[in-house]
Amino acid sequence: MPSGWIDTVRTVVSEETVFVLAVAILVLGLFVAYLAWRWTHALLERTGISTAVEGTSFERTAQRFGTSTVGIIAQLVAIFVYTLAIILAFNVAQVFDADVFWSRVTNFLPRLFIALLAIIAGLLAAEKGQLLVQERLQAIKLPEVALVPTLVRYSIYYIAGLIALAQLGVATAALLVLLGAYAFGLVFLGGLAFKDLLAAAAAGMYILLNEPYSIGDEVRLDESRGVVQEVDVFVTRVESDGEEYIVPNQQVLRSGIVRIVE
Amino acid sequence: MTGLGELLDEIVVDIDAVLLFSQDASTYERFENGDYPLIVVATENAVGAEQFVSLPLEFTDVTGRIRFGLEGALKQELVAEGDEVVCLTQAFDDAEIDTIVRIRADEFTQTGVYDLFVNSRPDAGVVRDVIEVAIDLGKKGQKGKPVGALFVVGDAGKVMNKSRPLSYNPFEKSHVHVGDPIVNVMLKEFSRLDGAFVISDGGKIVSAYRYLEPAAEGVDIPKGLGARHMAAGAITRDTNAIAIVLSESDGMVRAFKAGEIVLEIDPEEY
Repeated sequence: MPSGWIDTVRTVVSEETVFVLAVAILVLGLFVAYLAWRWTHALLERTGISTAVEGTSFERTAQRFGTSTVGIIAQLVAIFVYTLAIILAFNVAQVFDADVFWSRVTNFLPRLFIALLAIIAGLLAAEKGQLLVQERLQAIKLPEVALVPTLVRYSIYYIAGLIALAQLGVATAALLVLLGAYAFGLVFLGGLAFKDLLAAAAAGMYILLNEPYSIGDEVRLDESRGVVQEVDVFVTRVESDGEEYIVPNQQVLRSGIVRIVE
Repeated sequence: MTGLGELLDEIVVDIDAVLLFSQDASTYERFENGDYPLIVVATENAVGAEQFVSLPLEFTDVTGRIRFGLEGALKQELVAEGDEVVCLTQAFDDAEIDTIVRIRADEFTQTGVYDLFVNSRPDAGVVRDVIEVAIDLGKKGQKGKPVGALFVVGDAGKVMNKSRPLSYNPFEKSHVHVGDPIVNVMLKEFSRLDGAFVISDGGKIVSAYRYLEPAAEGVDIPKGLGARHMAAGAITRDTNAIAIVLSESDGMVRAFKAGEIVLEIDPEEY
């Protein structure tokens, strides 16, 4: 706290005036808090946040309590501002002589505010992320795929919770290790699972860009011989009477392809 | 009014199936629990019907639409030959059912128009895209003048071996697919060139400027159609490809499969 100017004020004016000043600060704080509430409200409305969160479960819960996501965030901002004003007023009036206590509270307050914001943002982002992934996967008609959007949702919850706890100063090292292990597993296992596809795509890039052979060429690949019918990123389709070989592109590069020219 | 009601009753008496040419949910619900099988024929199965025939094009004329729906239903064995079928469809309005047609399932000789889309080598979506490009080209022409074009779709490897280039291939080392947004303009420009377009099973435009050299014996197409149609008939007889032709002289779009004309569309009506 900038206590220097408060001391200066107290030396210049009398006790009663200090008290009046504290009350004035309280009233002014109320006014500023109201302005902050209005301003946040307008800002969130104008940036389209309120339409973006429409229909999420957090918004529905908020509406059941007669408010909305935008309202909650605006109220948080207002409460934050007003609490600051109260602390300032108390400091000026020196009702309590407990500087240490108040300085700790003022240190803690912004963190609490950010933690609350992180949780709200996490709740909203998780739901939005789930919806997004769900829409992407809609074309895949496989019941197990429904697990992936849920996984995305809880991953975002976890990260938001982690941020909030870290803000509050709770020891999160163990949770971080868990997150690391999870991310590592995802990347490592994902890489392992998609190894062949990635290799085929890398080879496919070269083949598509340089076209060493093209549709209609007669080729021999290992033991199979036929006419190239289709080349895409992952596979090359070679056809000879009645048989179609679907060859992954990395195999084309690895074992080489023979183009029959004569 | 009673005369009208009786007539309607007569039309719908003793039928074996209903073909509903609409994907409107409320219309579907009205007929869903009838005592006859309900077959939905539409571009998408939006209502989640059990018996569904996919309509690849928005046929504007009723006969073509019913013909396709019937052929599809027959091929999927949803109806049997000799069944009496009632079709609920739209003749004028795009949204409301305004036409009731009673028809025998084997009324039309099978032209293979359903096979053209569903049982051909190329994907149904690719066939549809090519037909749409041809129709678009037929409507607008090249700078107001009518143009002709020949697209050979599917079995591209074999087609390439049965044809030779007339000039450099503008699509070499390019990865353009029919259905890409820029393609219509591109094909329109290239339709000035002589020769055929070759398109692969997956929709990739393999080449333009191809001179087709299939054996033309035994190809029987209506007299009066030109060399382009003859080449299309011959190449589809010789390979497993299908061919879409836009005629320069009469402006019609025709689809060939196995040497036969299976579909004829007038771009002006489409």
